[in-house]
Amino acid sequence: MIGARQGALSGFRRLIAGAMARDLCVFALPGIDVARARGIDLRAANLRLTITPRHASVLLFLGSLPKRLEDAAVVAYAQMPRPRAIVFLGAGDLPDGLHADVIGELSQAGLINALDELTKIISEGAFAAQVQEFDAPALQTRIEYTCPMHPEVVSDHEGNCPKCGMNLVPREISAGTAHAAHATPEQEPAMPPKSPPQATANHDHSKHTSAEATAKYTCPMHPEVVSDEPGSCPKCGMFLEEVKGEADHEGHDHHHDHSKHTSAEAAAKYTCPMHPEVVSDEPGSCPKCGMFLEEVKGEAEHEGHEHHHDHSKHASAETAAKYTCPMHPEVVSDEPGSCPKCGMFLEEVKGEAKHEGHDHSGNDHSAHQGHDAHASGASADGIEPQFMSMIELTEGQPVSPDGLIMEWIDVPFGPFFPGLPGGLGLDMSLDGDSVAKVSAHSLVSAGELLAEGATPPEKFVERLAAMSPLSPVSYRQLACLALESAAKQEVASSDATARAAAVERERIASHLGWLANLGAQTGFAMLERRATNLELTIRDANMDHIAALDPEIASLLARLRKSHMLRDKLSGTGHIDHCSATSGPVARASGKDDDARSDDATYIGLGFATVTGSGGDAAARLEQRLAEIEQSCELIAKAEHLSLPEPAKIGAASGEGEAVVETPRGAARLTLTLTDGMVTAADIGTPTAAHFTLIEAITQHAEIADALIAVGSLDLSPWEMRP
Amino acid sequence: MTIAIVLLAVVVGAYLVAVLERWSVHGQFSLSGPAVSALALLGRESLLARTPDRLFFEAGPILLLVAGLLGAAVIPLAPGLIITDLATGALFLNAALAYVLVALIMAGWGPNGAYGLIGGWRFLGQFIAYAMLIVMPITAVAMRAESLMNTQIVLSQTQLWNIAYQPLGFVLFVVAAMGLAWLPPLDLPSAPGDLAGGVEAEYTGVRLGILRLARMVIILVMASATVTFYLGGWLGPVLPAWAWSAIKTLIVAALMLFGGRYVPRVREARYLAISWKLGISLSLANILLVGVIALVVPI
Amino acid sequence: MTLQVIFLAFFGIAAVWFGVVVFRTHSMVRSALALLFSQTAIGAMFLVMQAEFLGVLQIMMMATEMSVMAIFMVMFMMDPGGMGAMDMTHQKRLSLRAGAVGLVAALAVIWLPDWGPIAATVPSAGEQIKLLGFELLGRSMFIFESAGLTILTAMVAATMVAIAPQSETANKGARDGA
Repeated sequence: MIGARQGALSGFRRLIAGAMARDLCVFALPGIDVARARGIDLRAANLRLTITPRHASVLLFLGSLPKRLEDAAVVAYAQMPRPRAIVFLGAGDLPDGLHADVIGELSQAGLINALDELTKIISEGAFAAQVQEFDAPALQTRIEYTCPMHPEVVSDHEGNCPKCGMNLVPREISAGTAHAAHATPEQEPAMPPKSPPQATANHDHSKHTSAEATAKYTCPMHPEVVSDEPGSCPKCGMFLEEVKGEADHEGHDHHHDHSKHTSAEAAAKYTCPMHPEVVSDEPGSCPKCGMFLEEVKGEAEHEGHEHHHDHSKHASAETAAKYTCPMHPEVVSDEPGSCPKCGMFLEEVKGEAKHEGHDHSGNDHSAHQGHDAHASGASADGIEPQFMSMIELTEGQPVSPDGLIMEWIDVPFGPFFPGLPGGLGLDMSLDGDSVAKVSAHSLVSAGELLAEGATPPEKFVERLAAMSPLSPVSYRQLACLALESAAKQEVASSDATARAAAVERERIASHLGWLANLGAQTGFAMLERRATNLELTIRDANMDHIAALDPEIASLLARLRKSHMLRDKLSGTGHIDHCSATSGPVARASGKDDDARSDDATYIGLGFATVTGSGGDAAARLEQRLAEIEQSCELIAKAEHLSLPEPAKIGAASGEGEAVVETPRGAARLTLTLTDGMVTAADIGTPTAAHFTLIEAITQHAEIADALIAVGSLDLSPWEMRP
Repeated sequence: MTIAIVLLAVVVGAYLVAVLERWSVHGQFSLSGPAVSALALLGRESLLARTPDRLFFEAGPILLLVAGLLGAAVIPLAPGLIITDLATGALFLNAALAYVLVALIMAGWGPNGAYGLIGGWRFLGQFIAYAMLIVMPITAVAMRAESLMNTQIVLSQTQLWNIAYQPLGFVLFVVAAMGLAWLPPLDLPSAPGDLAGGVEAEYTGVRLGILRLARMVIILVMASATVTFYLGGWLGPVLPAWAWSAIKTLIVAALMLFGGRYVPRVREARYLAISWKLGISLSLANILLVGVIALVVPI
Repeated sequence: MTLQVIFLAFFGIAAVWFGVVVFRTHSMVRSALALLFSQTAIGAMFLVMQAEFLGVLQIMMMATEMSVMAIFMVMFMMDPGGMGAMDMTHQKRLSLRAGAVGLVAALAVIWLPDWGPIAATVPSAGEQIKLLGFELLGRSMFIFESAGLTILTAMVAATMVAIAPQSETANKGARDGA
C-alpha cells in the first residue's frame, strides 16, 4: 500500500490494521453530487462519508478529474493522515504523483468489488517498514509578500508596498498554481523596494554610530531640560524621555542647498494620541485632553538616492500626512489603514518629510540611516502615554452591517467543500463570521466544445453530455435538437415526447439531488437520506417505476412543505429580484415567467404551463423546485414513453442550427454550424454562467452559513462554466 | 471503589452513546463500530497543523474530556453511587460545563485554521444562549429540592418527577443541553455543511479520538443531568436503581441524538435571538412559577 | 492540615504564575486564557479553604467571563493567530507604581487588622450556602440588589451604545444612496 504508515506490521498493529480495513472513511472527488449523478451510492457500500480529508482514510476518485482540479486533489491527499488509500473508479488517469491502490469500474458493483480488494490491501499493508515521503509540485509552498491594503501587490521579497508604503506581509502560497499567476509582468516587483534601513544600508556608515549617540533625553513636562543621558528631571523627577530626530547633520554639508532637508530633519513633532490634529513642536500636554503629547519620529527615508537634482518630490512630500502604528513605529503608511503586524488602526502623524530623490553628491547620508534605526528601536522601552481607545483603533475601518469592526480573514471554500457543488471554489474574505468579499471560480469548467476541430455529430453529442455530468440528458437533448435544426430535420412527435420525458426525469433527479445537497449542507439528515435514495432510484427508472415512486416523492414534498424550521432557515437568504439576469427555477422563484418549455410544441402538447413562485429568496427556490418536481412527474405520466435522445442520422447536411433546452438549472442555448455532416463550430450559453455573477450580491454581508445556503440555493453546476 | 464503578459506568455509557451517535449520523447500527473506529484512529497519524498554537491544540481536547469527567463526578447513578456528593453539586456541574466553552475555544484557535477558529468563536457567541438556559432551570429545580445537592434533587422527586412539576424547565434544559453538547440542530461549532467540521476539522488520529471521546462523555453527562434534574434519577419500580439511571440516560441521549435528524441546523442569529428573547424570559417565568407552586402546593 | 497548606500554596503559586504569563505571552488569546486559569487557581484556593460555594462560583464565573473578554480582545485588537507578537505591557511606569501601591495596600490589609481567633471548625458546605443565602437576602440585600440593578442597567446601556451607530450608519447609507 503506497500510503502506508511507517512501522512493522505485527502484534497490536495487526489488530489496528484490521480495524482500519473495516473502518473506511471516504472523501469522494470531485464530489458527492457527482457520485449520485453517476448512480453510485456510497452509503449502500457501507462507507462513511467524511467532510474533510483530514478525517478520511480513503480518497475515492469518481472518474478522472479535470486538469485544474488535480492540484486540489493532490493537496486533499496530502492532508489525509496515513495510512491512506486511493480508489480510482472509471477510466482515465490520476493526477500526477498519485497512485491508485485499487482501480475499479465506475459503477456501484465496481465500487463494491474495489472495496473488497481494498480491505485486503489495508489489513495487510496499512503499516510498512519503509514509507516514502509524499511530495508533489502542488504541495510546494513559497512565501510571498503582499500588501494588506493592496492585494494586487505581490512580491517575492520583503519590502514595502509601492502604493502605500506599508510593510508587505508574508503569506504562504502554493508554488504550483499561484506562482504562474503572479509572475505576470505587471505584478513583478519592478518598483524600487522601499525597505527598512538595514536592507538598503549598503553605503558607508562611518558616521552611523556618531549619529546614534546624539540621542537626547528631555523631560516631558519641562522641555528646557535636555540631557545626553537617560535619567530623571531635576525639576520634577520624572523620567526623561528620549527625543528622536535631533541627529546632527554634519554629513550633509554638500554643495547643494539643503535648507529644506535639514529643516525637515529637525522637524520632530509632538502630537496627541487622541487628537491627531494637535501638533506641537515641543513636548508638552494636549490642550484638549491633557495627555502627554507623543513624539512623532521624523523618519527620513532615503531610498533611491538617485543623484538627480530634483527637489520636487522633496517639497511635496513635506506636507504629506503619514500614518503609523502605535505599537509598531516602524510601520509607516501614506494612507490610513491597519497595521500589517498587529492590525491596529494607524495613527496620523504630521510633519514628516520624505526625501526621495534627494540629491547628494556623496554617500554621506549615514546620519539619516542611524537616525532611522534609532527611531524604530526607540519606543520599545519608552513609556507609551496613550490608552488604546477602541473607538480610535477601529475608526475608519470598514464596518459590516452588524456594526462591529473585525479583522478580515481570507478563507477558501471548495473545490471539495461539503455543502457546495464539487468543483466550485469560493474565496471569501470573512469579517468575523459574515462575508465581506467573495470571488467564485469553477475548477471544473468545460473545455472547448470542439476539441479537435470538425467533430462527427455522434461524438459531439457524447462530448456535450460528458461535459455536464450533473445533467447529461438535457445537454444530450440540446445537442440533438441543435443538430436537427442545422440539418433541417423533423422529429416524430412521439419521439419528441419520449425525449421530453427523459429530460423531465432528469429534472426530477436533479432537483432531488439539490434537495440532498441542501440536506447535507443544513445537517438535515432525514432529507439527505431520502432525497439521495430517491435520486439514485429515479435516475434510471422507467415509466412504471417512476409512477410507483410517486407516492414516496409526494410524501417527501409534503414533509418539506410542512417543515417550519426549513422555511425559517431559508427565508430571507439570498434574495434575488426578478430583474436579474436569471433563468430556470431561480428566475421562476422570483416571479419571472421564464421557461424555454413554454414555447416548445412538445410541451404545449403535454399541457405544460409555467409554474412561477414569488419571493425570490432561498425558501422560494425550494418551493419552486418542489413544485417543479410535481410538475415533471405529471408531464412524465402524460408522456407515455420515455427514451434518451439519440442523434438522428444527419448525413452530409450543412447549415446553421440553434436550440434551447430548459435544463434543470435553466435555459441552455446552443448554436452550431454543420459542414458536410461535421460540426465545425459551436457556441453554448449555460444558465450557470449567468447565475455565477449573482454570487457576490447574494452573499454580501451574509453570515457564513447563510451565504453558503444562498450559493447552494442557486443550484450551480460548475461544470457548465466556460474557462 | 465507588470512583472505579462510576468511571466504568462513564466508559460504558460513552461507548453506548457513541453507538447511538454513529447510528444517527451514519445510519449504521453496529455495537462494535465505535470500537473499530477508535482502534483505527489510534493507528492513524496524528497530524499537526502547519503553524499551530501547539499548547492550545494539544490542551483543547484534553480539557474537554476533563470538563466532561468533572461533570460526571457529581451525578448520582444510584443511592451512594456518586463520586462526590457536593453540597454545591448542581452548581459544580455548571462550573465544569463552563470549561467546555474554554476547551472548544482552545481547540478552535489552536490549529490556526479559519474553520476551527470560526467554530470556536461561534460556540462562544452562543454561550449566553445556552448557559442561561442551563443555569436558570437548575435554579428552579434546586428551589423545589431546597438543596443544590444532586442526591437531594433526585429524592425531592419521589412524589412527582420534575418533568411533570416544571415541564417548561425541562424543555428549556434539554434544548440548552443539546446546545452545550453541540448536537444537531445546534451543532454550530462543528457544522459539517458550513464549516467542514469546524473545531474538529484539523484534528486527526489519537487527538481526534480524544476529542470524540470527550464529546461522547459530554453528551452522556448532559443526558444523565437531565435524568437527575427532571426524570427522577435512579427512582423507579422493580428494577435496581442503577438500571433505572442507565435506561433513562440512554433514552434521553437517544432522543437528543436522533432529534436533530429531522430538522435542519438552526441559523445562528435565530438561535441567539430565540434564546435571548424567548428562552431567558421563559426560564425566569419558570422560576416564578415553580416558586409559587412550591409555596402553595406542598408536593 | 499540612496537605491543605501544600495545596493552598500550590494553587497560590499557580495563580501568580498564570498572572505572570498574562503579560509574558505575545498572543491575545493566550493572555486572556492565562488570566482565566489564574482566576481558576484562585477558585481552587477557595475550595482548599473549604469555601465550597465561593470556589465553585469563582471557577464557573471566570470561565465564561474571561472567554467573553478573549473574544472582545481578539475582535478589537485583531491579533490574527497570535502571530502579531504583540507586547502585552503598556504604561509600564504607571503600572509599576499602581502595582506597588496595590501590593502595599494588600499587605496592610493582611497584617494590620485584627482577624480574631482562628475558627476551630468550618461550617459544613450546606450550612455555608444557607448562611450565604440568609446574608444575601437579609443584611446585604440592599447592596446586592442595587449592584445587580446597576449591572443590568450598564448592560442595557452598553447594548444601546453598541446599537446606536448602526442606525446612524443605516441613515448615512440611505442618505448616500439618495
